[in-house]
Amino acid sequence: MASFAQVLLSGLQIGCIYALMALSFYLILSATGILNFAQGEWMMVSGVLGLTFLGYGIPYPVALVASILGAGALALLSERLIIRPLQNRNAPHAITLLALFGIMLVVRYGTGIVHGRLEEPLPGPAGNHVFMLADSVFIFAQTFVIYGTTAATFAAVILFVRRTWLGRSLRVASIDPLAASLVGVDLNRVRMAAFGLGGIVAAIVAWLYAPLYAVGYLTGVIPGIKGFIALFVGGLVSPFGPLVGGLLLGVLEVAASRYLPSIYSEGIAFILLMLILFVRPSGLIAERKSA
Amino acid sequence: MSAQSMSGPALQASPAARWLWPAAALALAILPFFGNDYHVTVAVNLCITLILTLSLNFVVGFSGQFQLSHVAFFGAGAYVSAIAATRFGLSPWLGLPCAMVVVGLLAAFIGLPSSRLKGLYLAVATLSFSLFVEVVVNQGGPLTGGGYGIQDIPAAYFFGIKLSGRTFYVLVLVGLAAAYLVLQNVLNSKLGREVIATRDHPDAAAASGINPAMMRLVALIIAAVLAAAAGWLHTFYHLSINPGLLSPEWTFVWFFMVLVGGIGHTGGVILGTLLLTLVPEFLGFAAGQTILGIGVLMVLVTLFAPRGLGGLIEDAARRWKGESAV
Repeated sequence: MASFAQVLLSGLQIGCIYALMALSFYLILSATGILNFAQGEWMMVSGVLGLTFLGYGIPYPVALVASILGAGALALLSERLIIRPLQNRNAPHAITLLALFGIMLVVRYGTGIVHGRLEEPLPGPAGNHVFMLADSVFIFAQTFVIYGTTAATFAAVILFVRRTWLGRSLRVASIDPLAASLVGVDLNRVRMAAFGLGGIVAAIVAWLYAPLYAVGYLTGVIPGIKGFIALFVGGLVSPFGPLVGGLLLGVLEVAASRYLPSIYSEGIAFILLMLILFVRPSGLIAERKSA
Repeated sequence: MSAQSMSGPALQASPAARWLWPAAALALAILPFFGNDYHVTVAVNLCITLILTLSLNFVVGFSGQFQLSHVAFFGAGAYVSAIAATRFGLSPWLGLPCAMVVVGLLAAFIGLPSSRLKGLYLAVATLSFSLFVEVVVNQGGPLTGGGYGIQDIPAAYFFGIKLSGRTFYVLVLVGLAAAYLVLQNVLNSKLGREVIATRDHPDAAAASGINPAMMRLVALIIAAVLAAAAGWLHTFYHLSINPGLLSPEWTFVWFFMVLVGGIGHTGGVILGTLLLTLVPEFLGFAAGQTILGIGVLMVLVTLFAPRGLGGLIEDAARRWKGESAV
């Protein structure tokens, strides 16, 4: 029982990371139809920037905010300089995906050359406290930060999408871009907002994920892959898709690594995704029949 | 029109190709015999990459499926060949059909359900399959050798001649020529026309009696089996393999070679592969710099030359003849 509680706590912890990455994919994909492979890299850049700022002796809160905004600005820049010209030219899907893959390679290996290839620990916002909840069930202070930030980010994004004009135009653009532009939605602005917001959500993840491990130029790879898997498992129609997909994937992975041989814990995400795509391509949280 | 301009003309070769390609093929055939061992290795890797990009171009360019599992077929072919030779003691020549059959079945396994999927969903499903194959090989224990891979694979013999270095290069050339001929013949056959018709207009193709799902599946299996043969060549040239072979980034790199050449232009794809394989080799880049350079090029090419070299050359040829560019 104790071990099950531990599995659940750890599973939800990594599940929150996957859910937030999935949310950052979702924000861009739902508004623009683009699956931005580079999302994991904005997370990595935020972590590496934070590390660099802290190295210069900049105070922790300033370094945190500056690195998140910096990574978000880079995400915006990639939209403005590369994605917008492609979209305005109606480039085929494959071309856009390849351009995004190019951005991913440039950011990843560019960081590897500029920053070096060492992985270093990034101090967490809550320090290294550990709480014993029960006999052999323990929880890091960082875990509370992860749960809390995930809840707050999802709440903020849902409020933004439902209550603000820009957020609503994101939704309208996802339903019918042509009609949206006819009623005065500026598609370029929507795309910029989606990329900037997605970049910032991914950048926040760095400060949740990296303190558990370390930060280096390859840090974005795994959360990036797991994030888009969680998104397609959960579904693409509402922010609850990424949330459910991410939490489910996290708990399943930790449970598999606890109770099954390692091949299952490593492969379970891909098995789950292929099952979902072939059996229920719309994902777990699909469109409600009556709107 | 839009499908045509994206994928390029299907079958005709430009007049220049008539003498250019035989000359290039001849150069490819004799060059390594003047060079050292390093040149032979570069040439072997180039020819293997050409088989991969030509088959990828077949499934992406001519069949119109955006599938991202090509590296899984290549790696599975390499691993099946190596496992057959080292764990079961099979002759390399028996390993080749084994690899092709196993990978053909794998392609059917992923292709059957995914022939219903389109666009982004197909890309995600096939990419995920590719990642899964990488995990299985990494975690495969003694069978696949895990992260260490398989070493000391016995070399292939041809009537008592050990195939290594230059003698193996001859085999690779035969393999490349065979793959090229298979693809060209398929493209010029009824099957090829049905595959292209399915790409250009699935509904019209279905209305004239073609089964679009079947055409997509057949195209995928043909490309996968050729990739498996390329994997077999890789295994018995290098005689050691490791899971790095299965990194999904390779699919993107080959896909980019196809794009640089021009999706659907066989000649352009050959040119793109030559350029992107040989230029970093001769400039002597480190691996990280090469990948960074490829990333920069990807962004530039997609922005400024989305139809690739094939498209650029075609436009230039039109201007030369005084026709208006399309």
